[in-house]
Amino acid sequence: MSILSEISENLQRGKAKIVKELVQQAIDEGIPAQDILEKGLLAGMDVVGDRFKKNEVFVPEVLVAARAMNMGTTLLKPLLAESGVEAAGKVCIGTVKGDLHDIGKNLVKMMMEGKGLEVVDLGTDVAPETYVKTAIEQNCQIICCSALLTTTMPVMGEVVKEAEKAGIRDKVKIMIGGAPVTEAFCQQIGADKYTTDAASAADAAVEFCRGMA
Amino acid sequence: MTERENFFSIIKRTGYERIPVMYSFCPYLQETCNDKVEALLKEIGFTPSPIAYAKSIPVKDSDTEKFRCYYDDLKEGATIDIYGVANEPGSAAAMHMTHMRHPLERMETLEELETYPFPEFVWDEEDVAAQLACNQAFKAQDRVVCGDMQCTVWETAWYMRGMEVLMMDMMSEEEMAEFVLDKVTALAVQRAEYYVKTGVDMLYFGDDVGMQRTIMMSRELYQAWIKPRLKKVVDAARAINPEVVIFYHSCGFVEPFIEDLIEVGIDVLNPVQPECMDFGEIHAKYGDRISFHGTIGTQTTMPFGTPEEVRAEVFKNLDIAGQKGGLLVSPTHMLEPEVPWENIKAYIQACRDYTKSDS
Repeated sequence: MSILSEISENLQRGKAKIVKELVQQAIDEGIPAQDILEKGLLAGMDVVGDRFKKNEVFVPEVLVAARAMNMGTTLLKPLLAESGVEAAGKVCIGTVKGDLHDIGKNLVKMMMEGKGLEVVDLGTDVAPETYVKTAIEQNCQIICCSALLTTTMPVMGEVVKEAEKAGIRDKVKIMIGGAPVTEAFCQQIGADKYTTDAASAADAAVEFCRGMA
Repeated sequence: MTERENFFSIIKRTGYERIPVMYSFCPYLQETCNDKVEALLKEIGFTPSPIAYAKSIPVKDSDTEKFRCYYDDLKEGATIDIYGVANEPGSAAAMHMTHMRHPLERMETLEELETYPFPEFVWDEEDVAAQLACNQAFKAQDRVVCGDMQCTVWETAWYMRGMEVLMMDMMSEEEMAEFVLDKVTALAVQRAEYYVKTGVDMLYFGDDVGMQRTIMMSRELYQAWIKPRLKKVVDAARAINPEVVIFYHSCGFVEPFIEDLIEVGIDVLNPVQPECMDFGEIHAKYGDRISFHGTIGTQTTMPFGTPEEVRAEVFKNLDIAGQKGGLLVSPTHMLEPEVPWENIKAYIQACRDYTKSDS
């Protein structure tokens, strides 16, 4: 088995220490950082994401895989920056104003990072202006809004309006998700995409970034 | 039937005379709707929920300030509970919602966990006798006495350790997961034993293990880590009173765990969210072995449906349960500020009308 396959395999099993050692070994062997990232770490996360969508693995398996990926990317980051490799896209994510739940949002963030996207995490209780300001200042292609409560869902509509007001609506995609959110609600408020789970959200975000490149 | 007889007969699926009204309001609705509910119940000649809550086990040291040192950046206005779990307020828009912080989250070794001051419970026979008398008085008023143990094992443990960290512990740092879960289980056993000794009729357990469309962890992981510990708590309660009724709450989709819950000895499953599981299917599959509490959606029908839809949903689910009972029909969760009064009224009215022949 090649070292990159080994990295992928161990990442899928959540073996963070082994992944870290293998990534270091691959660097020492002179394998380009971008290859280690894409064919090792991200390839492994792809498998985990697919299995998560099929309900073959669940949140705990995703968490340990994401932890292993982070151990690997920490080693790769300086090398990637040195060779001018850019992220596949940039996203800002947060739970909307009035809502303090973040477990689902964090999972989406992990899945998106697992697809090679750069994610700016705005935390919880995020005002519509904050999403839009961040998207403008940090050149994000996507704004992701999470809500657990029917009480706070309407704030997602305010984010869409705020983006229109700031004149960036044609430049950013707005994705929404969270337990009570539905496709019908997404259409009603004029957001771009609703997904039912974290892995599908990451897939959709990658599609958007490809389309906007 | 008395209220008590009626309530237990629904749970035991041996028929009933009326449907008890059961719901909980967020602080905003308490302020704006409590009086209206009272007036409505009076007008239609219906009694409120028969549940009375028993006093929980006394804590040896209730000073929670000692936990502050486990956080270096707690927001002003944060409250800390007896486990050291902190809840920070949000913006004004967040109203009664808070952001949880976990005291054990950053600990990296078993030794660190071992030095943490877990709560200690202390009671003597005098306490038990006093609470027993108090609970007997509730029963004399025809009320059902409940020991609230929502957050039983899994949730208490992750509130302390952080959900993500505890899940990762279960996957790869097993002795740390074992330590936290065992500690919390031992405390839950004491809580349950105290309640049962003080004469409660029922215990309300709760640990969320479901998400909107899928389970939170694999069945293997659940059976290895959570189920045996839940069983310990159930067994401890039943060792004192084999008749004590046990409710269990988990949000979301939990179908794959229902068999496990029945095996452990759960009598009533709450809330069977219609957005996550089909009550008809769940009832057909498990309805002869477990009863249900909830089924009226608070993500859909209660906030966004019409009063007619609320009424139809209550009737439909009671029809599914059938004449023997097995369903305490109620909104699945606490009603939040956006739920219209007309829908609350429709729920109460539907409970009252279902058993009236003139409806």
